[in-house]
Amino acid sequence: MNLCRKPNLAHFAVTIIGKDRTGIVADTSEVLFKLGCNVEDSSCTMLGGEFAMILIVSHEKPFSKKKLEEEFAAKTAGTGLSAFVRTLKDDEVCYQGPEGELCLISVYGSDKPGIVYRITRELADRGVSITDLNTKLIGKPTEPVYVLVLEAALPQGLTVEDASALLEKLKKELSVEISVRLITPVSL
Amino acid sequence: MAVKPIVVYPDPILKQVCAPVQAIDDEIKQLIEDLVDTMHAGPGSVGVAAPQIGVSRRVCVIDVSKNRHGKENNHGLLLMINPEIVAKSGGAVMREGCMSVPDYTGDVERATELTLRFTEPDGNVREFDASGFEAVAIQHEMDHLDGFLFLDRIASLKTGLFRRKSYK
Repeated sequence: MNLCRKPNLAHFAVTIIGKDRTGIVADTSEVLFKLGCNVEDSSCTMLGGEFAMILIVSHEKPFSKKKLEEEFAAKTAGTGLSAFVRTLKDDEVCYQGPEGELCLISVYGSDKPGIVYRITRELADRGVSITDLNTKLIGKPTEPVYVLVLEAALPQGLTVEDASALLEKLKKELSVEISVRLITPVSL
Repeated sequence: MAVKPIVVYPDPILKQVCAPVQAIDDEIKQLIEDLVDTMHAGPGSVGVAAPQIGVSRRVCVIDVSKNRHGKENNHGLLLMINPEIVAKSGGAVMREGCMSVPDYTGDVERATELTLRFTEPDGNVREFDASGFEAVAIQHEMDHLDGFLFLDRIASLKTGLFRRKSYK
């Protein structure tokens, strides 16, 4: 988790995405290292044939977003990589842990439009906050299967059983399997 | 030799609770032979459950002895009719895949020690303790008999900084 914002630091969100190749992380971290930026939080993954990175970086003030953009533009020119930089406000720096119970929800079934929308809308309307989500299309080309796995924080007063019951009606509507289980970590 | 095609999701048989075996007749013995042949034909396969070859009965076969995770700790080839987990303890996360859900894997938490009871093809009831990878494989195959896939058991999308798991 990143520490709460220090007044002497400027924070930025950096998004990098492009066709996967060896060296994207090294190129990105080189730019940040040479500028003196600190990577406070990051997540990188493959999406289809693309490699995607999201980083929260900090730098001692004064430091401008423009400087970051210029350096990334120079580094990514002609590589097919896209870089996007956003300045973070005070209330966007500190990680706000979820307050309620954490659960993991698996949804899978024959591929059709609307699975992600119907599931997430139902959860959002009940105040369930999604903290992580992955989707994959698997199965045979003639019979594609859509897999959605998401981690979510339940609001106070909503149990795993409630969440399960909430999604029950969508099983029939979407012709999917849905299972909900508690994954709140325990300190041992 | 009867290597059967593996049923893949969304075939509905994979989501059914399988019927118990009432009598060990020629049909059940043939089913077990087919399961063993199919397991041996599957690259790296350590187990196959009856619904995976299209038969909704409580029968599965397991052999982790040739797998690098199981070769040091196993009971060899297990031919299990109406298996039951009598007790289980411990827990560890392993990344699992399944022949019935090709091209996808997920982190699943399973018990690391269990006491298992099942009937063998000769009618003997056997009970023993399994642990480690063999215990994981047994739970994965037994889930098939209750209509569960590993997709229903995925335990984590990421590792939180303060989430600690015990690995053996």
